[in-house]
Amino acid sequence: MAPPPIVSGLSPNEGPPGTRIKIRGENFGNQPSDIVGLTICGVDCLLTAEWKSPNKIIAISGTGKGKGEVIVSTKYGGTGSCNVTFKGYHLATIGPMKESAVWVEETPLFSWGRHSLSTTSFQQEDPLGLSIEETENKISEDFLINHFAGKCGDITSTNFSPGWFLLENHQNTSFNDLSAGLVHLRRKVQGQKEGQLSFLKANIGSVMDQVDTLVNIWEKYDSDLPKLGNEPTLKLEKAIKESEREARKLFDEVLSRKDRAEKTRNALNVLQRFKFLFCLPCVIERNIKKGEYDIVINDYMRVKNLFLKTDVPVFKDAPSEIDKRIEELQKKLHQDLQTMPITVEQQKRLIRYLTNLDSPFDAAWDAIKSRSDYIIKKFKSIYEYHKSTEKPEMDKKKGSANKFAKFNNSQLIEVNTVPACVNFIDEICATISEIFPDLWKIGQAYFSGELQVKVEAGRQVEYKYMVMNVIESFCKYIKASIIPNTLDKADRNQFGTLTTPERDEIAHYLPELLRSVRSSYSTLIRLDLPNEALDIIGNLLLDLRIHCMSILFQQTTEQIKQLSENWQIQYNGKYMGVTDLPIKFLQLVEDVIQIVKESALSGEQRESPLLDKPTAKKELEKQVDSILSAFHGSLSTLSFSEDLEDGEDSSPVVSQLIGTPVSSQKTSKAKQNIPIWEHRLLITLSNCMFTKSTILDTILAKFKESGFPSVDGCVNNAKTKLENLERTILDRYLEQKSDPLVGTIEPSMYLGRFDWDVTVSPTDIRPYAKECINNLINVHAEVIGVSSALLDNVLTRIVETVAEELYRVMSCVQKFSRQGAQQARADIQALQEFFKDYTSDAAKGHFAEALDVVPKLENSEKALVEDVLRQCKARMKIQLMCLRKT
Amino acid sequence: MSKKPTAQPVIHKVIMVGSGGVGKSALTLQFMYDEFVEDYEPTKADSYRKKILLDGEDVQIDILDTAGQEDYAAIRDNYFRSGEGFLCIFSITEDESFQATQEFREQILRVKNDENIPFLLVGNKCDLEDKRKVTFQEASERAKQWGVPYVETSAKTREHVDKVFYDLMREIRARKMDENKTSNGRGKDKSKKKRRLCKIL
Ligand SMILES: Nc1nc2c(ncn2[C@@H]2O[C@H](COP(=O)(O)OP(=O)(O)O)[C@@H](O)[C@H]2O)c(=O)[nH]1
Ligand SMILES: [Mg+2]
Repeated sequence: MAPPPIVSGLSPNEGPPGTRIKIRGENFGNQPSDIVGLTICGVDCLLTAEWKSPNKIIAISGTGKGKGEVIVSTKYGGTGSCNVTFKGYHLATIGPMKESAVWVEETPLFSWGRHSLSTTSFQQEDPLGLSIEETENKISEDFLINHFAGKCGDITSTNFSPGWFLLENHQNTSFNDLSAGLVHLRRKVQGQKEGQLSFLKANIGSVMDQVDTLVNIWEKYDSDLPKLGNEPTLKLEKAIKESEREARKLFDEVLSRKDRAEKTRNALNVLQRFKFLFCLPCVIERNIKKGEYDIVINDYMRVKNLFLKTDVPVFKDAPSEIDKRIEELQKKLHQDLQTMPITVEQQKRLIRYLTNLDSPFDAAWDAIKSRSDYIIKKFKSIYEYHKSTEKPEMDKKKGSANKFAKFNNSQLIEVNTVPACVNFIDEICATISEIFPDLWKIGQAYFSGELQVKVEAGRQVEYKYMVMNVIESFCKYIKASIIPNTLDKADRNQFGTLTTPERDEIAHYLPELLRSVRSSYSTLIRLDLPNEALDIIGNLLLDLRIHCMSILFQQTTEQIKQLSENWQIQYNGKYMGVTDLPIKFLQLVEDVIQIVKESALSGEQRESPLLDKPTAKKELEKQVDSILSAFHGSLSTLSFSEDLEDGEDSSPVVSQLIGTPVSSQKTSKAKQNIPIWEHRLLITLSNCMFTKSTILDTILAKFKESGFPSVDGCVNNAKTKLENLERTILDRYLEQKSDPLVGTIEPSMYLGRFDWDVTVSPTDIRPYAKECINNLINVHAEVIGVSSALLDNVLTRIVETVAEELYRVMSCVQKFSRQGAQQARADIQALQEFFKDYTSDAAKGHFAEALDVVPKLENSEKALVEDVLRQCKARMKIQLMCLRKT
Repeated sequence: MSKKPTAQPVIHKVIMVGSGGVGKSALTLQFMYDEFVEDYEPTKADSYRKKILLDGEDVQIDILDTAGQEDYAAIRDNYFRSGEGFLCIFSITEDESFQATQEFREQILRVKNDENIPFLLVGNKCDLEDKRKVTFQEASERAKQWGVPYVETSAKTREHVDKVFYDLMREIRARKMDENKTSNGRGKDKSKKKRRLCKIL
């Protein structure tokens, strides 16, 4: 709280209504708006107050009459006090003949003239002989006029009303005093009535003197008559008239000069007093130029308050001039208001100006509309710009449409040219984050009443439509350039034809674009937009996320298809017996899972987990399926393209001679680094098994751990398919291996015209059996060269066919001699013994059948066979070890 | 809040006289508000009043700043009647204003009908030494002749501004004390009689 204001100086200290007074003192506040009250002689003159400094105010006096105080009130100091007095004149108390310290307006400028020129008895002596009360006249003249219609309080008037007089002059006089006054009045009247006679009586002496004098004059006149003629006063009269004329001549001139002077002075006075008004057009123009709109508005309000209702013609010119300027200013401000870019604060200020200037514009609404239009236009121009940058790009793309070129240049394209649609989306996101909040803010300000303008009916709906339109356009622009398929045809036509880049290209950018859209989304969420609006973007995001996921998976599928096999088996480390193909596959899948998880999967603000949506889940399954089957496809391609580039090399792998595969491997290694067909089959088989048993489970775990819903179904499918593939590959291999191996048994057996009806006792097993063993050892070596995991599968199957063949051949023998039977048993048992570890039940059966076909032996013969077997095993100890599992 | 103090301090009524433009208003505003007004705006009749401490005593000074222009000569009588002390100002840069002091002195004596009315002759604008037209000698001689003090002031530099007002107030205070002593009974009687007369008439 500040100290209360004190008025200690007035310049001037008296004057009629309309006097311009410099009021000095202390604590008048620190700015014009601190002054909240000003009365001069009890009349509120705040409107005219002009704050100059904490010590000085200039104001114009009102209709207060008589001596009174000048009281200033300030916002922080309250109502003040006054040390000095101001004396307000009644206009009528100053006539042309009265001297005054100030110039008096003789034509009333204001409508204050209702104090008509009635000649009050202000200076007259009171008829009751009482002193006149210092005018603390509480009874307003209006009241008196109303109550005493047609009367007045002037004692000399024929319309005199005693009631009026008493109320006006003696409202506070006591009854006793009034009675005394009445007595006084009576005495005076009495005195006037009977006074004549007593007056004569009392002054008889001087009356007689007067009579004498009159007689003397008469006599004198008589004696003068002959001397001066009948009309002695004629000459005198003439002289008087003459002098009167002369005087008038002089006086007229002086008077007219005085009148003129008076007029000039009045005019000057008016000019001086209303300098403010007359200078205002210029001042306003200057301030408009300087941009001091607050001052302009302040001045304008003052003029409006003071002169709007004036009837004085002079005062009409200036305001109309001012109005013209103000109108121009309004137009300019309105223009500025709608010129973008502009901050909300600036707009608010302009709206306040326009409201204060009583502009006919619906400024606030126009500001909102222009903002909304601006955003839409901006979208469009951004779109157009990027459309124009796209042209040359398209040519380039055509040039590189060929897959090879694209693949080789992919790096180049990445560096040089970000696709137009990516730039476009980036920019449109940045733009909405930047300029949409302002639209929202100004709208809020408008509807919350902060702008202090009337909100028209229906605006709420219209505004909502605007906001929705902006957001929808935003979403549609984005959809049109990445996922046009989600738009209907009309929208697709309206929102552009930016070319959606090819999958591999866009895949790089999608996570980043998703981030851009999300960042805009979170900006809008922070604004507290209605759900209805936010959901539009929410849906866009959902579409984008699904699209992103789908594209990423598709890209991976493509990459998987491109994977090449290097046929390098890894012999140590975590993944033994496989090439790096399945590992690369795993790597790719893990990578894509990670990326999808990071970009699309998890929901950020106001987003639900992507895969809660059935559509998304279905899409995921579809994509996982296609990834897995892509790999399945690669594996199966690898296993069936027999004649990759080395058709000539698919020659016999198994010969009667030992060690051929090694040499053939050598040649191919030197040539292409591609192993022979059988090896490739084995490698692929191994990869298959490894994928089925390890990789797929790892992928499954990775999906789970990354928060994807279960894709068990897909994986199991893939497993089944892989199993089938394995079987096929194995069949292929066996076809390649066991057929020749088994096929050699019979010819070898009868080599050199051998006959089972021999007479020589066996000393060893026959060469065909040894060859068979060696051949199996070769296969064993080949398989273990790839992966020991394959041994069981492969060797068991071969042994089965060997056993079956043996049975077939044996059953075809016409006649066994004793010795022949011994030999056959030794051979079969040796094979049985050697192949023991890889003998399935079926094989066992075939061996048994084969033995059954051979004639039974005596005990002595059995011992001999045992002996032969023992010797053979000793001799072929190394071969035996080869086929033993340890 | 308008609580009226029961014992209002004594009021000393001072009147500024002198030709137009000599610095009456300037002196008044300098004394009242410590400000110097550069531009010249003819005065009509201005009132100022403030509380001050005069030799340890709370008093109020009431200053009536008047017009110097001839046009208003006729109404001066009215003002002068209410004054208890006068500062008669001229500008040391303008001889005419010095000559005019004679007329003011006479008018005051005529209206107040009192040779010993508190009165100071003040030569203002003493900061404009290079434009001086009235010598110190000249002015002090006139003051001596009238039996009043002569002080030179500058409303611009504030030189002697307080002095002239305080000196004058001391004289007024002294006069009032004298009056109370000499006309203790009589003065009261007189006023009573006057009032009664008024009523009867
Ligand atoms: N240099 C100077 N100028 C003064 C002094 N006193 C008054 N003035 C100037 O003289 C002009 C008239 O002063 P003003 O007080 O209005 O004269 P008034 O008519 O006697 O009231 C104004 O422009 C003042 O600035 C002073 O002591 N020194
Ligand atoms: Mg002045």
